[in-house]
Amino acid sequence: MPMQNEGSSAKVITEERESKPVGLARAFKRPTATTGLVGWLTTVDHKKIGIMYGVAALFFLIVGGIEALLIRMQLAVPNSELISAQLYNELFTMHGTTMIFLAVMPLGAAFFNYIIPLQIGARDVAFPRLNAFSLWTFLAGGIFINTGWILNMLPAIDKAVPKIGWFGYANLTSAEFSGIGTDFWVFGLQILGIASIVAALNFIVTIINMRAPGMTMMRVPLFSWMVLVTSFLIILAFPAITIALACLMMDRLFGTGFYEPVFGGQPILWQHLFWIFGHPEVYILILPAMGIVSEALPTFSRKPLFGYAIIVFSGVIIGVLGFAVWAHHMFTTGLSTIAKTAFALATMAIAVPTGVKIFNWIGTIWGGQIRFTTPMIFALGFIWMFMIGGFSGIMHAAAPADGQQHDTYFVVAHFHYVLIGGSLFALFTGMYYWIPKVSGKMFSEKLGKWVFWTMFAGFNITFFPQHFLGLGGMPRRTYQYDADMGLNTWNMVSTIGAFILGIGILLFFYHLVMMLRKGAPSGNDPWDGRTLEWSISSPPPEYNFAAVPMVTSRDEYWARKMIPEKKKLIENEKPEKSIHMPSPSWFPMIVSIGILIGAYGMAFLKSGYSFVGLGTLFWPIVGLLIITAGIYGWAFEGPGGYHLHPEEEEGSGGYRKKEPSDKSK
Amino acid sequence: MIKPFPNTRDDINRFYTFTWLAMFLALITGIEIVIIYIPAPYWLVASSLVFLSAIKFLAVIWWFMHLKWDKIFCTILFMTGLILAGGIAAALLAIFYFDPHEPTYDDDMMQGPPIIEHVANV
Amino acid sequence: MSQAVATHDTHEEHGEHPTCTGIPNKKMFMWAFLASDCMFFGCLIATHMVYRISPPPGSPDLQGILDIEIVSISTFLLLMSSLMMALSVHAIGKNNLKSFRRCILATVGMGMGFLLIQSYEWYHFVHEYDLTLTSSLFGSTFYTLTGTHKIHVIIGIIWLMTYYFYSFSGKMDHKSELDVEVAGLYWHFVDIVWIVIFTVVFLLEFVDM
Repeated sequence: MPMQNEGSSAKVITEERESKPVGLARAFKRPTATTGLVGWLTTVDHKKIGIMYGVAALFFLIVGGIEALLIRMQLAVPNSELISAQLYNELFTMHGTTMIFLAVMPLGAAFFNYIIPLQIGARDVAFPRLNAFSLWTFLAGGIFINTGWILNMLPAIDKAVPKIGWFGYANLTSAEFSGIGTDFWVFGLQILGIASIVAALNFIVTIINMRAPGMTMMRVPLFSWMVLVTSFLIILAFPAITIALACLMMDRLFGTGFYEPVFGGQPILWQHLFWIFGHPEVYILILPAMGIVSEALPTFSRKPLFGYAIIVFSGVIIGVLGFAVWAHHMFTTGLSTIAKTAFALATMAIAVPTGVKIFNWIGTIWGGQIRFTTPMIFALGFIWMFMIGGFSGIMHAAAPADGQQHDTYFVVAHFHYVLIGGSLFALFTGMYYWIPKVSGKMFSEKLGKWVFWTMFAGFNITFFPQHFLGLGGMPRRTYQYDADMGLNTWNMVSTIGAFILGIGILLFFYHLVMMLRKGAPSGNDPWDGRTLEWSISSPPPEYNFAAVPMVTSRDEYWARKMIPEKKKLIENEKPEKSIHMPSPSWFPMIVSIGILIGAYGMAFLKSGYSFVGLGTLFWPIVGLLIITAGIYGWAFEGPGGYHLHPEEEEGSGGYRKKEPSDKSK
Repeated sequence: MIKPFPNTRDDINRFYTFTWLAMFLALITGIEIVIIYIPAPYWLVASSLVFLSAIKFLAVIWWFMHLKWDKIFCTILFMTGLILAGGIAAALLAIFYFDPHEPTYDDDMMQGPPIIEHVANV
Repeated sequence: MSQAVATHDTHEEHGEHPTCTGIPNKKMFMWAFLASDCMFFGCLIATHMVYRISPPPGSPDLQGILDIEIVSISTFLLLMSSLMMALSVHAIGKNNLKSFRRCILATVGMGMGFLLIQSYEWYHFVHEYDLTLTSSLFGSTFYTLTGTHKIHVIIGIIWLMTYYFYSFSGKMDHKSELDVEVAGLYWHFVDIVWIVIFTVVFLLEFVDM
């Protein structure tokens, strides 16, 4: 395709330093490279940051997947002793923590970063350096929380991996019952919380403040809308776990008694604080997924999204109600009848906006010219599988029924249907949908369908039997089960299914590599897309839009292709002669490194190990100093900037002639 | 040396607004300190304290934090967090007030908190 | 009012990019952060109150420990520092560096006064009443809550002092109003959190059921 990669031919002509570095900033001279290792480490470009988020999240998806397979291998046969009970506990703890915080959330964040500015017609996010900081802090948290696996190999340190469940219920986490692994978990989640909150604040400001002219809130593409709701959930839910973890840290490191019954502390308080965070977290995982599906379905049905406004409002209502249902995770803890009733009703009420969305998606594909491409079948798989997860969810909403299902494999089946069948399938939709835009290459549909069907079969074979196992009485997190309990067959089936799912994911990675190496050029608009990201080259130029588009309708790019009068409007959009770009910076990464060092110091504070200054306040203070120095360097360095000059023939408004739409055939 | 802009009528008004507001806040604080000693029923004193501090709170965000002069969206943004935090805190307190999960204490246990040693290798 | 709106909508001339809502990015970021911080302190204060609703046996007699006079003085200081903060934002907006420096110093001075008095109170609690972080659950929640608030105050002081020193570099003028205002929002928030803590942690303890 001749259109491809046009943007990168633009040359950097002027480079200006808006503010001279002063003080500490002189030591870290402003980097200018935009390629090579330094270019990646210091980048503030939302697209590069998005790619790094994606690569890291896929890596952790493999890590969490291996942990899951080990768990399933242990459970394949009754009374298995394949792995030790301790390793088993470590595995299910790290599997949950990794998949939620290090795989699904950052995979979502990869799309937030890459797609949002393109969809809303912006040149970057509101705070580019802060965006880089979120990425490096997330990576620091991911490395930190997994350190235990490596430390466990050292002879001097034992039990450095948390084994308290991803929920870390008190008082499993108290200093009496768990070792340094719990400290790694506490500070690791705290770091990941910082990364998430900062990123979410950035996206709130970006989506509300950086929209292209004419893009009213009711013209914002649905994925961006759902990310906005998700960002609000993140900034309002994460403080609860920050407090819960801070109190736990005080208990473990400084001897307080927040969750210690001997002090009069109430372990149940942890559960409340955790689920005040934990339930909105579930919607943090699913709302971006719903947004992705709401982008893919209209594109592949060649119809506008059915009931745009009601889908937006349903998303907002899900977000609000998400804060009023936390105690449905705690129906068996002895809440009063009134509390149980209130939380059960609120939980059932959430099914209404969710159902509204499902009907709207069906309304979208109804009567459309459906193309069964790989992203489309993942999206359809999402609707179906997510509905099954939703139905078993409503079953738990009834408090008496939940008493039977609580902490059984039925619950495990439920949330895997929501998180794999829901979130992960939608994220795969997103990957297949947008990867031609990101890489400029097109994948083979045949292999893509193999990936879907293998994953789909493996997923259902793994998790559908777990409904039966749960109702048959198999408890969650159990290390072994007896042979005469009637659980043998379905456990074996489930394990076989897990390996099929694993093969499906491996096939996806093979597919990804094949596409990147040998894929045919995708062109700018391979799917005949509807939103602004398809109007620019693939991969997009650094500045995204040569001319900031004037938005006049909801599906702007579709309207531009279809309505002759709009094409004329676009001809008035002249590419800017000179586009101001923010300079790269070292400081976001430096601050993140400071956080990492400080966290290591804190985790070892009361560990009893005292090599290289660990076990004292030395390393936390070093970390704090690096953070402070980094922040000052950051502040005095200023946003900086240089100018890019897009070539004249770049086209008006980023609009190009319509290309043959379906490259896949 | 850069020259200050001359004060307009509006600037002087705002200066007085701020100063009077500070005096008003100090006065309410004084009233709060006095009413805790009034022998009135608990609900009355407690609710007036909550009411008075809510007034102080809202006055600070409305004038000192410029919400009065800013776009309404700033108020909406902050109120989202404030109302949600208030609602969740109230729900949490109601749960603990109406279904206390107090552990059963025995006297030996409460002699004094035992020293909990952090054990690395449990 | 309309005039006031006009004077405050001039951020775009101050080198800020125009935004969709007219609210500068930094200011919106700070308000969203403060909404998040509301949840943060909401959960922390709720944790404290949960344990005051059902205090474990052996909890100290708070009416004999808490000293309303001292807390009132520190509350008063923090309220007045909010006034000085509002005035310093106004001063920098009027390009009045001299007044800006005086107001910032007064803000920081009162913030430090607050810290000193609160630290005296901590010292007093530890030495007179043996109330420590680990002596009772009240100690745990009280020191954690007020300590978290203190950390917020310290960060605010460092932030404002940075502006104070930076104002001598000759690079601050009325265009810096937005930056100072954002720091000011943070400072006022620290003040309103204390308004809540003052009522909930101190005053309510003196009202007999």
